[in-house]
Amino acid sequence: MNSRFFFYFCLILCLSIVYLPPIYLLLISFNENIQPGIPSLGDLSLKWYFKMLSQKRLITSLNQSIKVASITCIISSVVAFFSALAYLEYRNFRSKWFLFIIFSMFVPGVIQGLSLSVIFKIVEIKPSAMTIVGGHLLWTLPFAFTIILTNLSNINKNIILASRDLGANYLITLRKIVIPLIFPGIISSFIFSFLLSFNEYNRAVYLVGRYNTFPIYMFGSMNAGTSPTVYAMGGSTLILSFVAIFFIIYLTKKKNK
Amino acid sequence: MYQYLRNNYTLLLLSSPSIVILFSLSIIPLILILVWSFWTWDPITYWIKPILTLNSYFDIFSTGRIEVLIRTLVLSFIASTTCLIIGFPAAYCIHFIIKGRLSIILLMLFTIPFLTSHLIRTFSWRLILGRTGLINNLLMSNNLVDEPIEWLLFSDFAVGVGLIASYLPFVIFPLLLSFRKVDENYLRASSDLGANLFRTIYSVVIPLSMPGLFAGYMFVFAMCMGSSTEVQLLGGAAASMLTIMINDVMRVVNFPLAFSISTFSIIVLFILLIIGNRFFKFDSLFKDFSW
Repeated sequence: MNSRFFFYFCLILCLSIVYLPPIYLLLISFNENIQPGIPSLGDLSLKWYFKMLSQKRLITSLNQSIKVASITCIISSVVAFFSALAYLEYRNFRSKWFLFIIFSMFVPGVIQGLSLSVIFKIVEIKPSAMTIVGGHLLWTLPFAFTIILTNLSNINKNIILASRDLGANYLITLRKIVIPLIFPGIISSFIFSFLLSFNEYNRAVYLVGRYNTFPIYMFGSMNAGTSPTVYAMGGSTLILSFVAIFFIIYLTKKKNK
Repeated sequence: MYQYLRNNYTLLLLSSPSIVILFSLSIIPLILILVWSFWTWDPITYWIKPILTLNSYFDIFSTGRIEVLIRTLVLSFIASTTCLIIGFPAAYCIHFIIKGRLSIILLMLFTIPFLTSHLIRTFSWRLILGRTGLINNLLMSNNLVDEPIEWLLFSDFAVGVGLIASYLPFVIFPLLLSFRKVDENYLRASSDLGANLFRTIYSVVIPLSMPGLFAGYMFVFAMCMGSSTEVQLLGGAAASMLTIMINDVMRVVNFPLAFSISTFSIIVLFILLIIGNRFFKFDSLFKDFSW
């Protein structure tokens, strides 16, 4: 089948566009030499990773990012859970509600950050971790909403009906049926929001206070020069993301069993 | 389907957190920006005063900034169209040609990029496209070129590649979501009636997956318009984009101009979103989600 070849070609093209560069960077980050290149087995080392950890400003920015991402992922998952429940209850208003929730995904991050920073200045909120959370929420909420909504709609409707027939009110149904069933979904939403926030650059630029977030620090060192510690930073965030993703996959698998 | 809730208070309670958050953090700030873009800049306070003017909009047209805006739109258009052209066959392949376990693994593979740092994925293109990068090394060692190709990095080409690589998953994912709703019997019927694969895709698959197709396209377009890291990390010395321009204008604290550029881009996106939604109904992606 000749026509299928074209489809496979596109698939492989897409995969290599998305994966080749980061994997190449990951390999380079283990290279002992200053000159970037794929390390031979003898050159493998964690030198740049240790060097990276000795930079004090990097550690503060890392702390700041972890703090911001933790707060963001909790707020956005909880809010997304409520909004998804509301979505399922709305009838005619549904598509408007959907557009309302995901609207902020379409607004360019820089503009969102700029507008927020101006507002915060007017009402005299000092830039801090919380202002960054404000910006990041707008980015993570639509994703968390979609994940939780997908999970909610996978629940067998009859279970909900049965729960109601047996006299459970809404709150009890939520607590005893819905939340246990979508628990893996909620965890995925936590992880997803955490990583989205941890890696977000554009929205934070105008909102950071005294402490930079990790992506902003990283961007600075990417433009500053070519110390291979940049590769180590990139490599370690990639590894962190992969670990988290395998955790999500593990959770979904467990759920399906 | 039926509604579980009988009273509206609970519904209001469920909706209020996101209403509060989205209004206070997104909608009100954006409306204020729109209003303030018509105010006058006050050189004494470095802020704006409530005198209505169109000056900031004239500034966009008079100082060559409009070229940057058009450039941004064109580049976003090219990048998102390319994403769709290579993303659609890939998504089709994942959903209709490859089946079972491998298909799920591939779906996962296209989810992972959402969660990895966009900054790093963009930065890593430097290592591929640079003078001593992977591509030039390969070309040189195979004696295909004598000296490194310069235009690969720090050029519009690099920015385009960076944009496509960053946002490709965003077009594939909604497509896969909408392919789920395409009944495969239609495809079989189409091929029984004598249509070849491309004909089937053109007259059956594309019309049925329009919401996802549009959502993906629109999303990538919006992301490209708002992208800054690609240009900053991969673009040439003179390269500018909408967001870079906003950053520059903010450096000289010219608020009205920054606001008017923002307003311009948000209005463009909003119009696309409304028109697109009317024709392609992309809010229907989740329509049959109910209890």
